[in-house]
Amino acid sequence: MTRSRLAIALVGLAAMLMLVPLLWVLALSLKANSELMADTASVFNGRFTLDNYRNLFGNGAVFRWISNSLIVSFGMTAGVLILASLAGYGFARLEFRGREMLFVIVLLGLAVPEQAVIIARHQMFSWLGMHNSYPALILPGLSAPFGVFLMTQYFRAIPKDIDEAALLDGASRFTIFWRLLLPLTIPAQATLGIFTFLHAWNDYWWPLISATNKEMFTLTVGIASTQMNFAQTEGLGFLMAQAVFAGAPMLIVYLFFQKYIVQAVAGAAGR
Amino acid sequence: MAGVQLAEVGKAYGAVTVIERLSLAIPAGEFVVFLGPSGCGKSTLLRMIAGLETVDSGAIHIGDRRVDTLPPGKRGVAMVFQHYALYPHLSVRENMAFGLRNLRVPADEIASRIASAVASLEIEGLLERKPGQLSGGQRQRIAIARAIVKQPELFLLDEPLSNLDAALRVRTRLELAQLHRRLGTTMIFVTHDQVEAMTLADRIVVLNAGGIEQVGTPMEIYLRPRTQFVATFVGAPRINLLPVEVKAGATGNALARLGDGTIIGTEVPFAALPSGGAMLGLRAETVCVTAGDEATTHGTAEIVERLGERTLVHTLLSDGARLVAEDAGVSAVRPGDRIGLAIDAAAAHLFDAAGIGHHREAR
Amino acid sequence: MAAAMRTRGDWRNALFVAPYLLVFVVMLVLPLAMGMWLSTTKSDLFGTERWVGLANFVRLFGDAIFLQTVGNTFVFVLLTVPFLTLAGLGLALVLNRQERWAAVLRTIFFASTVLSVTVVTLVWRLVFLPDGGLLGVTAEALGKTPIAFLNNEKLAMPAIAITTIWWCIGLPMVLFLAALQQVPRDLYEAAALDNASRWTTLTRITLPAIRRTFFLVIIVEVILQFQLFGQAQLMTLGGPNNATRPIVLFIYETGWRQWELGYAAAAAQVLFAMILIAAMIQYRISSRKGVA
Repeated sequence: MTRSRLAIALVGLAAMLMLVPLLWVLALSLKANSELMADTASVFNGRFTLDNYRNLFGNGAVFRWISNSLIVSFGMTAGVLILASLAGYGFARLEFRGREMLFVIVLLGLAVPEQAVIIARHQMFSWLGMHNSYPALILPGLSAPFGVFLMTQYFRAIPKDIDEAALLDGASRFTIFWRLLLPLTIPAQATLGIFTFLHAWNDYWWPLISATNKEMFTLTVGIASTQMNFAQTEGLGFLMAQAVFAGAPMLIVYLFFQKYIVQAVAGAAGR
Repeated sequence: MAGVQLAEVGKAYGAVTVIERLSLAIPAGEFVVFLGPSGCGKSTLLRMIAGLETVDSGAIHIGDRRVDTLPPGKRGVAMVFQHYALYPHLSVRENMAFGLRNLRVPADEIASRIASAVASLEIEGLLERKPGQLSGGQRQRIAIARAIVKQPELFLLDEPLSNLDAALRVRTRLELAQLHRRLGTTMIFVTHDQVEAMTLADRIVVLNAGGIEQVGTPMEIYLRPRTQFVATFVGAPRINLLPVEVKAGATGNALARLGDGTIIGTEVPFAALPSGGAMLGLRAETVCVTAGDEATTHGTAEIVERLGERTLVHTLLSDGARLVAEDAGVSAVRPGDRIGLAIDAAAAHLFDAAGIGHHREAR
Repeated sequence: MAAAMRTRGDWRNALFVAPYLLVFVVMLVLPLAMGMWLSTTKSDLFGTERWVGLANFVRLFGDAIFLQTVGNTFVFVLLTVPFLTLAGLGLALVLNRQERWAAVLRTIFFASTVLSVTVVTLVWRLVFLPDGGLLGVTAEALGKTPIAFLNNEKLAMPAIAITTIWWCIGLPMVLFLAALQQVPRDLYEAAALDNASRWTTLTRITLPAIRRTFFLVIIVEVILQFQLFGQAQLMTLGGPNNATRPIVLFIYETGWRQWELGYAAAAAQVLFAMILIAAMIQYRISSRKGVA
């Protein structure tokens, strides 16, 4: 029917529009800075160069930023997976006083936005003199209730008779967790892990105010810092190369792990 | 191999009593079946023996050890679960070795136990597979094998056959019986299926609403049901129950009068019967379709079920009561026929107003 | 004795949740409480504080700039959320099919969501820039004068809205797709047997079936967009003339530029309250329509 063909055509057009800004930036990154400074329309003149990228590799800052982002993102991901898995098992399978109440409190934490806690967090780390450090960048993210919520749901879904068979087999609670149940949660771990990684990598406000030292910039903050000066900069192409360099990793990860990322983001919203 | 003693065992969830002060003694080596409808507490009782449910009152002994305060792993008990509960990501071999490793059994001992369990259950070749790759019947055998290698004092089986298809169920039933013959270990088997209970049990414990209705051998349960509940629960088709008036007969036995006026001369002593109403219990095989004049009463055949080895005739009596009668496998009866019924009065049971069963004197 | 066995593993079991709870309390509960307390003090970075009760809040409600940021934020939410919701729904309806091209298009629409705000704003500044940006270059090529979107009081907010829509469209689309896939096939089959037209099927079967998700998307997007920060800070610095300053930027600048932590904390509490109220209103609406 033509009506649905029209809809599809519109959607196709919209998709192309979605790509245009990215293609524009890519094109700019492949142009010599001098040409762009003279006239930006020179993008269309067909003369491209990889100079900007070469300069990127020569300029150490971006790599420093990326390695900081990697450390922080992997660190936060590992931390969240460990804490949330342990807690998820505890809430889902073990009896202890106050379990229900504690779980509700954790769930209530889902409602707390970053703004309500960020000022105090900043103060705390100031008092401890811990700003501009990896722990400062990683620790706040470990408190997010989403991971615990997800892992608890997942553990709850595993049939209890496996635990019971293992109890009869003389296994300790930890053995049950570590050898029997945890391996069954791999899909949830993947989802949570990728979600946390993405969140840590793209985080802006907290690294902005905590990692104020240039050496500690994460990639996201670093890109912001270069944006501030670019009105004066002559390196438009260089700047664009940085942007491409910054955006590409996540896009590549996305293309590979699309299923998990989509699932994770949708799940987080559905909380 | 050890026996099990339950002394005044009770359990409640909040205000709801699930098991009521239950006492039971199971001698070592016996194959006992806990039989009852859903919700009667049979699984709960089994799980209390296993240690998967807490005991609120009373004590449980396995052998001469008191176990109700011990964790499940320390009771010397192995369990076969309804849904097998195999560890999904471990191989079959790993599944069987898991419990033994936790008990620090030496590796060569583990290997030899696994080998003999594999041989007796005919599961060679499955050792390296994961449970997900096996059929339901295979998984069931692995679950049983996992229990065997632990060489427990007591086997607990929680409706292990309910997830199998009919043919597999029969086959596995036979294998379980053979297993018991071979190992001689005490076994407690939970089911709602009375055929399984009748065929496997040395003794059956019939449970209802958290209490024991009757404990006895299969034939005792069948021929001398202690209560109306037991009589209706065991036996297919269901026992016929007809409201009757009783009075004493010349021999001191009760005479039961059916709604259509027929007098059934039972062999139940009248003196034992409390006053009040009574129900007459007649198994279908004691009500035979007959053409001749031995007919005790007559009725109209409504539905005829031909099973092959016998025919069940659902009959309407003249007073509106219905009963199920039996005829030979090859039967000429058709729906709508007027038929004669020969009732074996000697085999009749009487159930008083409280549901207690009264039968003829035991021979 | 049985009771003893039940509680025996008690504290040992709690050890599993203890590590997380420790972080939770220190990094979330404590700061939350501290923030509330801070909002009742007048303090600066040097730690000099005095308790002022509700004075900060009173000041906020008289602060013209703050009130403007509240208004800006509301405008922003109105500019983005309806479009995001409806466009997300539309995309999901069109792209909910097995074909390869649909999968490719879905990938494209979601891709922008994985980029960080700093990359996104960099890209879109290069679109909006009058001299050198994509729109500027196109305008010049067409012989028109380029518009300085980000410097225009009327157009800056819409420009940020467009950027945000480009960035965030993936999430509503994906949420609706998930919901559409949950609708049982046999509802559609029954409708086909009942001779329902495509429009009827859409309005009477599909849309009612995903009502819950519809409200979910709205709540989620409202809460997300209320927290607008990076795009405004990086693209317009809140200008021109506070036209694009959202609440969060106000908090940031009050806290880290003017070092008035107490005042900033108060603004943060107000934002928190607004978000909670919005979520509760949504919840009441959706449960009244018999959907929650």
